[in-house]
Amino acid sequence: MKVLLLLPRNIEIAVLRFYRAVISPLYGDVCRYHPSCSRYALEAVQQSGAVVGTALAVWRVLRCNPWSRGGVDDPPARLSTSYRITTHGFVRPAEQPGG
Amino acid sequence: MGIVDIFGYVLWPFKWVIEAILVGFHGFWSAIGLDPNDGLTWILSILGLVIVVRSALIPLFVRQIKSQRKMLELAPQLKKIQEKYKGKRDQFSREAMSRETMELYRHHGTSPFSSCLPLVAQMPIFFSLFQVLETAQRNPNAGGVGLLTPALANSFGASKLFGAPLHETIGSGVNALGKGGTAGDVLVVVIGIFMVALMTITQFVTQLQIMSKNVSPETKASPMYRQQRMLLYVLPLVFIFSGIAFPLGVMFYWVFSNLWTMGQQFIVIRNSPTPGSEAAKAREVRLAKKAERKRERSGEPLEAPVVEAPHPKVNTQRTQPVGRARAKRTGERRA
Repeated sequence: MKVLLLLPRNIEIAVLRFYRAVISPLYGDVCRYHPSCSRYALEAVQQSGAVVGTALAVWRVLRCNPWSRGGVDDPPARLSTSYRITTHGFVRPAEQPGG
Repeated sequence: MGIVDIFGYVLWPFKWVIEAILVGFHGFWSAIGLDPNDGLTWILSILGLVIVVRSALIPLFVRQIKSQRKMLELAPQLKKIQEKYKGKRDQFSREAMSRETMELYRHHGTSPFSSCLPLVAQMPIFFSLFQVLETAQRNPNAGGVGLLTPALANSFGASKLFGAPLHETIGSGVNALGKGGTAGDVLVVVIGIFMVALMTITQFVTQLQIMSKNVSPETKASPMYRQQRMLLYVLPLVFIFSGIAFPLGVMFYWVFSNLWTMGQQFIVIRNSPTPGSEAAKAREVRLAKKAERKRERSGEPLEAPVVEAPHPKVNTQRTQPVGRARAKRTGERRA
């Protein structure tokens, strides 16, 4: 059940990972923030889910314009302890100890 | 409501503007005597679209150059950060270094980066153009969302460049050839491959220009740089695959846009290169040569390369003696 709930989030993570691996390098370093917009999007979706994460990412890209000062800007850490992030960046339910 | 519908609503204003610009240029080219139904006329209209879109982005580009100049003032502080993390190649040190650098830029209100929004804003234009062309091909009688009337959509959809229909892709051309296609299908494939090659070359040259000439030695030593360099050689493959799926009309937009970027990049690297990079050294050499030529022409002796102050100020007033304390304060020489 939990895996199913995480499906939209993980699909979006897959898309973002593809973008970061293939399309993002086309542009080189352009982002005025740290982490970059695409990494912010990836982390935001991991932490807050497909809907809220996407909204956060859109807001971030809008802020990353030629008039912004940039700087360090991390997405909010919201992931519940019952989930964990795999080495590939996907979100899975955390294994219960002994279960 | 499907995801495609949401996409359609978001793109609607973009499509409307793109159609208006395309139809505007098409009208212009037709008015000066080009055949309205010829592929060349439509391609020139796409060229017009590229010029309008990229010109609109010029102010951002100028801003970028200006901020690049301001970066020179930050050089000592940047060097301090780089010294601090010198020799530390692990992920956490690089992350911390990047954070400190970004904070420095923010603090001084300048950045060498152009920001993401302009790039992201160009994506809907590309998708919209794709959709406008798709509509012209598959359902021309419906017309566009705005100024592209069914008649114009039909003209666009049926237009050919040297006999190659603009709405075809390399994929569809190859498909048609498999079923015993026409000379037009051969041309679609030939032009398509030519466009993919052009797309790849322009993108490759632009990237190579940045990566080999406009990068400081510090960046060159980083593992990120080596990774990016490797991607430089993988990217053309990506283009070949994407090129197969795009209609010729869209590919023309892409190639024109790439050419523009290449020229723009050339100007930036020539006139305001990253401090410490190869391009910056080349610029210093160029400026020195220019100064020398100027000197030769004005007939000044070559033996005096040290530039003197043009006119030493002649002070007729007697210099007053200055006390030790005051001399220290003002930096004046004690008389």
